[in-house]
Amino acid sequence: MGRLVRAGLAAGAVTIFLALVGLIERFKDLELVGSQITLSLLFLVLPPFVAGYVVGRPRVERGERREVTRNEALTWGAIAGAVSGALVGAATVFADAFGIDRIRAVFIQATSGLIEILTFGLTPVVGALVLVALSAVAGALGGGLHLLPARIRRPVVSAVTAVLLLGFLQRIVPVALAELNLADEWLYFHAGGLTWFGAAVVAAAAVGISILRDRQGSQIRARLSFGGNGSGREGMDLGRLIALAVIVALLLAIPQLLGTVISDVLGSVMVFILLGLGLNIVVGYAGLLDLGYVAFFAFGAYTTGILTGGNLNSFQGITKPVVSADLNFYLAIPVVVVLAALVGVLIGAPVLRLRGDYLALVTLGLGEMVTVLVASPWLTPLVGGPSGMRDVSDAAIGNISFRDPKSFYYLALAFVLLALFVSRRLYGSRIGRAWTAMREDEQTADAMGISTTSYKLLAFAMGGAIGSLGGALFAVKIGSLTPASFEVLVSIQVLGIVILGGLGSLPGVVVGALVLVGLPGVLREFEEYRLLAYGAALVAVMVLRPQGLVPNVRRSRELQEEEVAQDAWAAGSPDEEAPAVETAAT
Amino acid sequence: MSRLERLPWRRIILIVLSLALLTLVIVGSVATLSKPAGQGGYSGKTWVGFIVDGIAQGAIIALIALGYTLVYGILRMINFAHGEVMMAGAFASFFFLDAYAASGFLNRHPITVLLIVTFVAVIVSMSVAVLLERIAYRPLRNAPRLVPLITAIGASLFLSNAFRGFFGPQARGYPKPDVLTGSFDIGGLDIPKVRVLVFVVAIVCMLSLQLFVARTKTGRSMRAVAQDREIASLMGIDVNRVIMITFAIGGLLAGVAGVLFAETFEQVRFDMGFRPGIAAFTAAVLGGIGSIGGAALGGFALGLLQSIGPALLLSGFGIPSPFSLKDAFTFLVLVLVLVFRPGGLLGTGEQEKV
Repeated sequence: MGRLVRAGLAAGAVTIFLALVGLIERFKDLELVGSQITLSLLFLVLPPFVAGYVVGRPRVERGERREVTRNEALTWGAIAGAVSGALVGAATVFADAFGIDRIRAVFIQATSGLIEILTFGLTPVVGALVLVALSAVAGALGGGLHLLPARIRRPVVSAVTAVLLLGFLQRIVPVALAELNLADEWLYFHAGGLTWFGAAVVAAAAVGISILRDRQGSQIRARLSFGGNGSGREGMDLGRLIALAVIVALLLAIPQLLGTVISDVLGSVMVFILLGLGLNIVVGYAGLLDLGYVAFFAFGAYTTGILTGGNLNSFQGITKPVVSADLNFYLAIPVVVVLAALVGVLIGAPVLRLRGDYLALVTLGLGEMVTVLVASPWLTPLVGGPSGMRDVSDAAIGNISFRDPKSFYYLALAFVLLALFVSRRLYGSRIGRAWTAMREDEQTADAMGISTTSYKLLAFAMGGAIGSLGGALFAVKIGSLTPASFEVLVSIQVLGIVILGGLGSLPGVVVGALVLVGLPGVLREFEEYRLLAYGAALVAVMVLRPQGLVPNVRRSRELQEEEVAQDAWAAGSPDEEAPAVETAAT
Repeated sequence: MSRLERLPWRRIILIVLSLALLTLVIVGSVATLSKPAGQGGYSGKTWVGFIVDGIAQGAIIALIALGYTLVYGILRMINFAHGEVMMAGAFASFFFLDAYAASGFLNRHPITVLLIVTFVAVIVSMSVAVLLERIAYRPLRNAPRLVPLITAIGASLFLSNAFRGFFGPQARGYPKPDVLTGSFDIGGLDIPKVRVLVFVVAIVCMLSLQLFVARTKTGRSMRAVAQDREIASLMGIDVNRVIMITFAIGGLLAGVAGVLFAETFEQVRFDMGFRPGIAAFTAAVLGGIGSIGGAALGGFALGLLQSIGPALLLSGFGIPSPFSLKDAFTFLVLVLVLVFRPGGLLGTGEQEKV
């Protein structure tokens, strides 16, 4: 019983947190399905749902795994949900009685509008009761999820996910449909979410696909585990070739389909994919936690600016930097990359001896030094100080300028594909395997004859080179550079991308960048909460799913082994809260 | 020649680097000191002012550094979010202080109010620190060492932006009671009263912490857990409880530091914890992380370096406005300490366990 109440209270606290941060009120108009299901509503019911799901999990009691019965799952979930709802409801009633304006003097997001959402426009007490009921239902649903056999549960989950995802993409999908001259009225409301009919169609499609995939699942999985290591297999069969062709065609068509705004967002996403790919080499492959990665971003951007004839904003008007060249962008890029690799070696050399957390902090320090230096009066003659640099090359070929978002997309795509290719080949090569060995156990790798010093330096150099490409692209994209773009936060954002996607996983970097950069770019309302989301994602991924969203195959196998070993150890020690469910399953 | 060849070239780079740095330091200081006051040089009185500033600054840094050192000593992990714990306390105390200032109560009973406000800050900081441990660190206690560091970074980002969401992005003026305005005249020097308060409180905190760890039973179990967690648990020590207490104490010190920090700079802001957090961490490493004396020493040393260093080293080269590079200086110190003497000034150099 105490467990249920605790889960409920935690869920309620999370809801109140979301309300006070302002997330609930901010999204009251973002309709996902119909005009009823808004993102606010989702935020309200999600915590009790999760609480219900958690309390309904099978548990280990006295060493035995115990499934919950149907009644238990439903009632427990409902109780946890109700407790959550009751906490939020009580808080709402209290806030209303105390005077919302007095609370607002401290918590600026506590507005009467928020109260109205939380009480569904009813009187506070009635509203609170409705909230309790709603939360109880959400909790019961969460608990009930365990009752469905996996065969049914998977299609249901994918249907819900698909509907919500398409609801989120309401500013992308209709635009694309309109470009293709397809009618979209049946699917989307004008400037709103999915229609109920559209949602039903999407759900049905998702269920169908999910069932199909389930049926083929075993075959696909067998094929994946055979080819997934990416090492050595030169030949490609026809099916993969066709799939590749389709993907390439889609990628090429995107800017024409989605218009300028989305292309612009995708341009930023690709800059961050490049940064993520670079950091992935350093952190994901070689296991060196680099928190100063923004240094390469800044280096790439400013060097590109200087080499392609950028000018400085200064008090005397526009001046040339003390060192300046007027190269073509495509001539400058190799120079930038080589220089960045050298900088990587220079940064790497003195810190090689350090491991783990110390390395992380030294690199954080170096990164922060770069941001301070870029803004300092000392380097102003070179990079323009706080007022920055302008007139960076737009990488034009002939008279096609790449500053325009639609054409920039293609330039960025070319760079990203190149970096993806290099990363993938590196990973499968002797170098990549040496990195893996070094990451897993440095002493052993050393003993096996791997020169850890040179491989670490190589990782820094490669990571720096790819990161500087990101910087160069960024410079082309915005055309003028100021120190504000090179905050130390950039390093942490890139780290968030790599970790959310899964360390060492290339698709992971792409997914991570799409989620963490693309989603806030499309949902402008979310911009303010981007960093909050990064922080939450870093913690949540590390605690709940350390292998990331799209795990690297080799890596996740290692993590599993580690987990098993840990569980074996934990099973014998009384002071550990053993990760109970998974233990029992193995 | 054969001797040279046997040196790994990484060592050669390090030696060259350290020689270059040494030359720069000597040339810079000589150049600065030889300049007459007024023409880019500084008078003797200015130097003393720098030193006083540095000591007061160092006291706050040391106070925050104690939190890093305590947690590192016991868990071997860097609680990157410690600066945000301090920010949380400072922010919470702001609302009370602001209300007291508005009602005039602050200037009638300044000491009572400051005590109440500090109490609030301490409670909030302690709760945040303990929650942080429970949610973000405890599930990862046996994970590879980098994992809790990553969550700590995430937690730091999350906390500062949550406070931004709660209370808005703008800086708020932190009221100062009349008793704390103005300065004492000590031996012909004007020393602001706040700085004296900061210094005294910091010293008291450090001494009590040292006594607590050395003399009390809880302190003894903390030391036991720091030495060997498993054996300590076999000896009947509740390891989870001890770790929680450690975080609570760290939070307590951060709360006190938060109030002092806010009083010194007279404002609170959601990102006020980041830079001091890094400075404090640097100080902890500088002194030898894991030891309380080291954190104190490192704090004062870093404070002095920050206030004297830029003027002494950079002005000599004619670098304009050297104090804008103060933070770069902090990081440079961090990098140099970790590269050349990872054990810190007091430490002996920690070997990574195989």
